[in-house]
Amino acid sequence: MTDSRSNIAALSDQLADAVAAAGASLVAVHARPRLPSSGVHWKDGVIVTTEGTVKQEEDITVTLPAGERVPATLAGRDRGTDLAVLRIPAGSMPAATLGDPAALRPGNLVLALARLDEGGARAAFGAVSATGGKWRSWKGGEIDRWLQSDLTIYPGFGGGPLVDSAGRIHGVNSGALSRPLATTIPVETVNRVVTQLLERGYVARGWIGAAMQPVRLDEGGGLLLVSIEKDAPAAKAGLLLGDVIVALDGKSLESFDQLLEVLSGEAVGKRLRLNVVRAGEQRPVDVVIGERPRRRR
Amino acid sequence: MVSGAGGGAFLGDAAARLRASVVAIVDHSRGRRGRGASRGGHGAGFAWGSEDLFVTSAHVPSANTVLVVTPGGRTVEGTVVARDVDRDIAVVHAPKARVPAATTGDPYILRPGALVFAVGHPLGVKDAVSVGVFQAVRAVPSGYGLAERRPRRGRSPFIPWVQADVRLAPGNSGGPIADVEGNVIGVAAMIVSGLALAVPAPDVERLLSKLG
Repeated sequence: MTDSRSNIAALSDQLADAVAAAGASLVAVHARPRLPSSGVHWKDGVIVTTEGTVKQEEDITVTLPAGERVPATLAGRDRGTDLAVLRIPAGSMPAATLGDPAALRPGNLVLALARLDEGGARAAFGAVSATGGKWRSWKGGEIDRWLQSDLTIYPGFGGGPLVDSAGRIHGVNSGALSRPLATTIPVETVNRVVTQLLERGYVARGWIGAAMQPVRLDEGGGLLLVSIEKDAPAAKAGLLLGDVIVALDGKSLESFDQLLEVLSGEAVGKRLRLNVVRAGEQRPVDVVIGERPRRRR
Repeated sequence: MVSGAGGGAFLGDAAARLRASVVAIVDHSRGRRGRGASRGGHGAGFAWGSEDLFVTSAHVPSANTVLVVTPGGRTVEGTVVARDVDRDIAVVHAPKARVPAATTGDPYILRPGALVFAVGHPLGVKDAVSVGVFQAVRAVPSGYGLAERRPRRGRSPFIPWVQADVRLAPGNSGGPIADVEGNVIGVAAMIVSGLALAVPAPDVERLLSKLG
């Protein structure tokens, strides 16, 4: 009997230790009225939070673990992955200890952390529910790994870290990307987006400026061009309405996702070799991938 | 007893000990109509300091006499001997109850992430245990939905609340929330934005000491 009680007490201590460890790099982000959201000190001077919780671009402050409130500036935001990056003075606090989300399996115990005031970190407790490969958010962002857990994302928990029982941070929790389960934006996606947001303030997305519709040809699957924007990469490459794209970089086209895949990541500026069927004949067309014009918020 | 079959494992001991102190508090009027008492609904309470004194939420008993359903299934009469509506705590005296008193703990020494559990009768399920983690004991964050301008009595966001990530439902009101050893750290009062709020045990202690 003593054994079982000490086991559970040890687990309780371990969870509290994990909160304390990860809490050292956890801040409250004041970028909206009333309730703050949470943020992770990802690397020195760089705070990551969720894009949806940043409602103002000026006069943002963050509350550090010691309770001190410091000004922060918005370095950039990306709706697609629901991430925003803020800068704070360097040397304010320790940087996050990152884990490897690939090592998480369904059933692993995890915590969601938040900081809402100067009173200390808060935690919610649960287990990893499902993991998987790359997916695309309903906001259009590319997320490198599917990572869901049964944690309750209470108000203000968005932007806080997903923490394992050793206190390592595996990503940033988003209340906006999916419900009812908590969705975590994994470390690799955060790293990628942080790099881009620090470099240019936004995530550049590949674009050729054409609308297409899947069609079936004798050769297999294809994408029929149904509109082409003026001066866009597709127009410059000489693509015409009615052309059917049947291969990308030599690979025959099976689904629309293949094109999205080619246009994602660091695609801007790369040359893309298309095989198109025009007037019954196949011919190669080279397109230089452009940067999708950014809509004003 | 490392591989204890079910009962000894995990929270079993602490939960069993605390459940032995938890009662159902049923409005006398409802009991007389033949409903409620046997179904163990309406609210929870638990023996505090002695085997005939029970702590519950002030919003659970609507009259000054109540029925107390013991863990053994006996229904006895109880009288509300103290009521603090602002702190949402009531104390019920039930001389015939004879239920072992729960042990109490201190929420102010708990760290966020520490395991806690609640015992109550959510939606009428008798003596149900729900497990989660401790978050904080302080004022409720603004924006959580507790009225700040003119708070209703017993629902002020500005006084300290034990806040925990534990699933509660109607019927948990007045029941204990305890640390991993089964020591009561708070009295479950309400759910706000999904968050469990409980009256800190030291506040209950203070109220009881005024009783003399």
